[in-house]
Amino acid sequence: MSPIKSIAFLILLLTVQTKVFAQKLNFLIPNGAIVQHAGSIGYLSGGVSYDLFKNKRGSFDVMYGFVPESKGGSFSTLTTKLAYRPFEIKVNDWMVIYPINPGGFFSYTIQKDLDLTWDKGQYPKGYYYWSEALRAHVSLGTELTFNITKLLKSGKPQALTLFYEVNTNDMYLVNFFQNLQALPVTEIFKAGVGIKASF
Amino acid sequence: MKRLLLLVSIVLILTGCTDFEYSPHQAFDPDSPTDLNAKNLEKLLKITNDDTVRFIVSGDSQRSYNEVELFIKKANTIPGIDMVFIAGDLTEFGILQEMEWVVDQFSKLSVPFFAVIGNHDLLAKGSVAFQRMFGNLNYSFTYDGVKFICHDTNGREYKFNGKVPDINWVQGQMSASADVMHYIGVSHMRPFSDDFDSKLDTAYTNILNSNPAFLASFHGHDHSFGEYFPNNSRVPFVVTTTLGKKGFLLVEIVDDQIKYERVTY
Repeated sequence: MSPIKSIAFLILLLTVQTKVFAQKLNFLIPNGAIVQHAGSIGYLSGGVSYDLFKNKRGSFDVMYGFVPESKGGSFSTLTTKLAYRPFEIKVNDWMVIYPINPGGFFSYTIQKDLDLTWDKGQYPKGYYYWSEALRAHVSLGTELTFNITKLLKSGKPQALTLFYEVNTNDMYLVNFFQNLQALPVTEIFKAGVGIKASF
Repeated sequence: MKRLLLLVSIVLILTGCTDFEYSPHQAFDPDSPTDLNAKNLEKLLKITNDDTVRFIVSGDSQRSYNEVELFIKKANTIPGIDMVFIAGDLTEFGILQEMEWVVDQFSKLSVPFFAVIGNHDLLAKGSVAFQRMFGNLNYSFTYDGVKFICHDTNGREYKFNGKVPDINWVQGQMSASADVMHYIGVSHMRPFSDDFDSKLDTAYTNILNSNPAFLASFHGHDHSFGEYFPNNSRVPFVVTTTLGKKGFLLVEIVDDQIKYERVTY
């Protein structure tokens, strides 16, 4: 084989492979985009959403949020969220309510005062038992979804979802479970709202 | 069934009308109180002086809201109290929400209260949150001839950098003044303990001892009552137990004498 032919063959091979690879990576293309206010993961946060399960009742979101100094920051937070929608109420052919959606998320706050693990030189082993930067949250969401395709006879985005979500985290739960008398449960849940566009 | 769910969700949203939160690590929110130590001092200075200075030293309220509730009730029944100190570790995680919960409770005291920084309060964004809510980590005030020197002694949190406690600041607070007859120290960690900067143990203790008008130094952190005279100290280093263990110190200064007793509730 001449060098030119070899190179042509290589390029062809690479192109085919890339195409196959790209198809395999199709799952990386998100099903939706989210913008959120508050909800313990930033003053404002944004990210992508993936549908889970055949019925698409599950979702996995990856979010980036920011709290500016004027709102008590400044720092950024990376979040991965899981949620499931066990109940569906079809109000009409263009509106659906998902009333109670349990979920959970991890948030990782990036700030110099917040360490993922404790400095071994500074503290004896077990001096503190938690991670400053990494929080585990449990959440309950409510969603109102508008089927844009049916509502506006337009295809993009397919649907718009307004959501309200309350959550609490490991630190609040430690405080709560040791003080069931003194701390009402409403004290440990914090709210956020957002909008999701599904493609 | 669908109606029920709808109803439940509406109720959930309405009753769950909890605060919007940007992050558990935010240093303040629009409702967080500010400069509480200064505001409480203003209240304190309005109290008419008598012959006795009587106060409570409590500490380590972390994760103990049930017990703090009982403490507040108990403290409000003790006659003649001028003020209450929290000798550090108001919080477990150094987060804003914990500080707000503790302040909600302590605000029910019938007398002013003063917060002193503990190691847990310095964690995460705690130092920023604390200073905004209460004021400087080192502060002092004089009431009825007694100067209270409240300061940060949490050396380990600063990697034992030789700067905490700030002994120059403490020394400066000891200078003589016409309106001061006695000095009292309040800080979280006592000298000659594991978490106090050992490079400063002797110098710090000497400064307190060198002033004959310095009566006693009060602390928390140990999670049990104690009284120490390290290095042949004249000055007693008196430690209160945690509020979670339902105990505190009741202190009284009468006729140049200091008395302190352990109270459980």
